[in-house]
Amino acid sequence: MEKFLFIIREDLNVLKDYTEEHRHQGMLEMSRWVESLAESWSYGGGEPLAITGRYVNKESVLSDGPFIEAKEGVSGYIVIEADNLDAAASFAQTCPLVLRGTMAIEVRPMLGPCQG
Amino acid sequence: MDNVQQEVDRLYKSHFGKMVSTLLYFSRDIDLDTAEDLVQDSFSAALVAWRKDGVPANPAGWIFTVCKNKALNKIREGKRFRNLFQEEATPPRDPAILPGAFDDYQLRLLFACAHPHLSPKVQVVITLKYVVNLKVEAIAKILAMTVDGVDKLLLRARQKIREEKILFEEAGEEAIKTRITIVHKIIYLIFNEGYKTSWGKELVREELCEEALLLDRALLNSKIGNQETAALYALMLFNAARFKARFGPSGELLDLEEQDRSLWDPELIRLACHYLDQSRGGPASSYHYEAAIAYLHCTAGSFAATEWPAISRLYHQLLQLHPNPFVELNYAIALYYAGQKAPAFETLNGLLEHPFLSQYYLLNAALGKLHFLEGDLAAAKKYWEKTLRQTSSPAEKDFIQKMIDKAMR
Repeated sequence: MEKFLFIIREDLNVLKDYTEEHRHQGMLEMSRWVESLAESWSYGGGEPLAITGRYVNKESVLSDGPFIEAKEGVSGYIVIEADNLDAAASFAQTCPLVLRGTMAIEVRPMLGPCQG
Repeated sequence: MDNVQQEVDRLYKSHFGKMVSTLLYFSRDIDLDTAEDLVQDSFSAALVAWRKDGVPANPAGWIFTVCKNKALNKIREGKRFRNLFQEEATPPRDPAILPGAFDDYQLRLLFACAHPHLSPKVQVVITLKYVVNLKVEAIAKILAMTVDGVDKLLLRARQKIREEKILFEEAGEEAIKTRITIVHKIIYLIFNEGYKTSWGKELVREELCEEALLLDRALLNSKIGNQETAALYALMLFNAARFKARFGPSGELLDLEEQDRSLWDPELIRLACHYLDQSRGGPASSYHYEAAIAYLHCTAGSFAATEWPAISRLYHQLLQLHPNPFVELNYAIALYYAGQKAPAFETLNGLLEHPFLSQYYLLNAALGKLHFLEGDLAAAKKYWEKTLRQTSSPAEKDFIQKMIDKAMR
């Protein structure tokens, strides 16, 4: 089994304007999905991220966000275990918000200490 | 629904996947989409023809002949494999070309669905479609997905199946060894979907549990099954034994404490014990632990007489093997009833910090119940009210409302 990081991307400008009700609904849907990951013993942790934060580079602290690439900003992450990248991507494909087209998931293999 | 329609539906349920897979084995020139279309067309043709002329003596054979002819035409259209079907009469595949451990076409398909490039959820979806022969609408309902969502998953899976010839190739002996764990997982997840309470007392759900049991038994009867297969079978039988007791007279959910234990099926429990015994001797899988926990529940004389310390130890071992926040919840509950109240609350409060678990209705339901048992009505009410907002299933809402009403009386 290998570990994979799901980088969850959503349109942060849309997220910012969500009502409490809407946000709650999305969380419930994600929770049910995470439950289905956990049922197959693949879930390794994860959480949503706040919309604002800091963007740091050599020059200075640039912005408070929402980030420049708000159209596809990172809104959360999940760690899962899967046999291979294909299987991991196939996991991501089952997320209801991905199926509906409101969310994209970038699937990246995590390099453990042995492989790095 | 008329008789002809019923007969066609019955055949569809029992033969659709078989016919599709047989067509695939006939010719590598037919892809999955085409095979499905052809079989679908043949069923439509049957409906029309049988309404006119009556149902023939061998309905499955009739449909299959039509199917074969359609396939033949399809291939001729492509001007390829012109002579493929000429000598072929009844045996759908040549045993010399397709040897293997499987006598049962269903098992062969099941191992094909367990392709390691697909996620468990996708494996479950295609197994339900091609092995259990469920329609997309039924799959959507069972998995709490939209029809569109299932279609999209199937579309992606079909592409993969086509590109990698997943259903065409029988898994070899090595692959069988590695895939059997995946097959167990698929069976386990299918059983779970049937067992989940969110849909209430629907017939289709019990059927799903039966399908899972049948698949697992087929594995056990073949040469392929191992001790893990037996442990999984025991686990499912223990849970199936309690099936009828989980709902009250008007279909409402009952928790373990409220269940009438005389409704538990002693025959199934005996059978489950037998298979648990058979499962000894290998490394302990998660199914072994879960089966052992189910065993302790099923053989306890009453809720109070349950061996909670042993159960919490088993959960602890299971968590060492597979860390999982949803299992941790059950562990905490077992700890509480085993008298270890402080660590129980500590674990539950830890789970509340978890972003997804805190939205999980069963965590808040459990916190409500335990606070109620501790006499803290205000806290209990707070968690239960949170629970009510976290589920949209009427059966679950009723279940929680009942707890609130009972507590406030």
